[in-house]
Amino acid sequence: MSSIARDPLGTDRVPVGPGLSMFDPMFVGIDEFGEAVFLDVVYRNLLAAGEPGGGKSGLLNLAAGTAALCDNTRLVLFDAKWVELGPWRHIADEFVGRDLDHAISVLRRLVTVADNRYQWLLAHERRKVNRYDDLSVIVTIIDELAMYSTVLGTKPQQEEFESLLRGLVSLGRACGMPVIAATQRPSWDIIPASLRDLFGFRAAFRCTSLNSSNIILGQGWAEQGYNAADISPTNQGAAYLLAEGGLPRRVKAAYLSDADIYAIADYAAWLRRPTTAAFDWGMAA
Amino acid sequence: MPKFTPNRAFGRRSGTVTVIEAKVHRSSERRARFAFIIAALVVGVVTMIVASATMHPILAALLGVAVGGPSGALAWALFRIWPVIRLVWWWLPEIAFVTAVMYGWVQLAQHTPMWVRFVIVGLVVGVPALVPAIRRRLIALAWCVIVRHRLRVCFAQFIVANQSGSLPLILWARPTPVGERVWIYLRPGLSVADLQGRLEKIAVACHAYSVLVERAGEGNSAYLRFDIKRREVLTANVGTPLVDVVDPDTPKVPRQPATMPTALDLPDVADEPALAKAAKSAGNPNGKKPAASSADPSSTDDDINDWI
Repeated sequence: MSSIARDPLGTDRVPVGPGLSMFDPMFVGIDEFGEAVFLDVVYRNLLAAGEPGGGKSGLLNLAAGTAALCDNTRLVLFDAKWVELGPWRHIADEFVGRDLDHAISVLRRLVTVADNRYQWLLAHERRKVNRYDDLSVIVTIIDELAMYSTVLGTKPQQEEFESLLRGLVSLGRACGMPVIAATQRPSWDIIPASLRDLFGFRAAFRCTSLNSSNIILGQGWAEQGYNAADISPTNQGAAYLLAEGGLPRRVKAAYLSDADIYAIADYAAWLRRPTTAAFDWGMAA
Repeated sequence: MPKFTPNRAFGRRSGTVTVIEAKVHRSSERRARFAFIIAALVVGVVTMIVASATMHPILAALLGVAVGGPSGALAWALFRIWPVIRLVWWWLPEIAFVTAVMYGWVQLAQHTPMWVRFVIVGLVVGVPALVPAIRRRLIALAWCVIVRHRLRVCFAQFIVANQSGSLPLILWARPTPVGERVWIYLRPGLSVADLQGRLEKIAVACHAYSVLVERAGEGNSAYLRFDIKRREVLTANVGTPLVDVVDPDTPKVPRQPATMPTALDLPDVADEPALAKAAKSAGNPNGKKPAASSADPSSTDDDINDWI
């Protein structure tokens, strides 16, 4: 095994690096003028929502692929459906399937890491992690949030999951631990408004009603013409993206075919082989 | 009021073609007068002061008048013909293009035989016409030139500007995948909000599907960007550069083989009352932890997913 740099938190640094970094804006697709759209995901969080088949998983896979190829980046994946984020499970530090206990324990670890990082930042008289800090970026990707917050486990477990997730989403922003989540409809019963509003970037894929669009983007946008229900059902991947520009932008998310996803995942696994050589298969499954 | 060459061929009832509008014309007259007075005064006084160091003050004053008068006249003339200079500036790409083509053709005609001329013209016209990439690029550039004129027409015809009738500065334009993007610097009298109320009309004038206007930067509210949209790109398939990063020759890292689940059909899964009870308890605050979380996922995957 190659020598691995030790970071201040005492964890192994992930030696990946064809030059990509999560601190660089992530390419997500094109806007209505054909210009490339980049999101600075590491300092924000991203919530993708919309009806099934709208293209949420495409965006999530794009984020996972970007993170997989980035230097010094760890992946934590939650996917109750297994297949959406499954291709990345071999390179993910944690892959949570349908076990809510596992999900809660992973979230608890992440919140602890976030807390430790803030202590570290305090000791260094700083408020924000940057790319020169030698701290890994831990990208948490959750597909179908509703499964964890409403379907799996018991009510107390779901509540604990929600409160831990709220902690991670609110804490992770400045310490290099972004959360990217997808859900079909972020209404109050799936994801509380207090948690939803912590996501800086929102992508509204096709919805069935004006109300659903407003729930994702925020009250009043649909009345101003930014209505995700207007997106054609055949145009998968088209979305309204609310980013720091202030106004929702019409975008088309880039598409990765299954073959592309597995090719990138294989390549990322090869790039990350010094750590994957001693991979614990039992942990990944 | 001087109007440009009367041209009855265009069929105007008045017999004249208005190139410079009356409002612009009056404003130019006034400004030319001011320019004459200011230029004559400043140049005259400065000349007088400098000259008085070496000659008698009366002679210096006369010299001041002699130099100041023509300077003022020059400034007056510049301001008077400014609308024409501006007109030439607006049409400069076309004028330059036509001049270059005519000059090139005359030179060709003088120095080459007929067949060479045909070959050169065939190449100059045929290559862009046959190579789609060049053709598209040229058409896009042509639209950039056209759209600047169309926007100027919008400003001159139906967007009320200021009292002197000055038009916004239409800066550069460049093609985008959906149409054109034009940068504009507003003169006093207009704002983004004024323009946003007229986007439909501007789109009609530009022969476009829609037009968007927004500030080009954070700093100056006069500096705007028009996005003229002629095509829809959001229906296209968008690729990602991540795929290009992948080196196809990389060896595969060995993976743990996936375990193939059995019981892929409904009759293969036995009826388990306990499991059903556990699944129901997911929505019950007092329910116990379902067996689903620790059981084989393949046996429960399908039905629970359909609930949401």
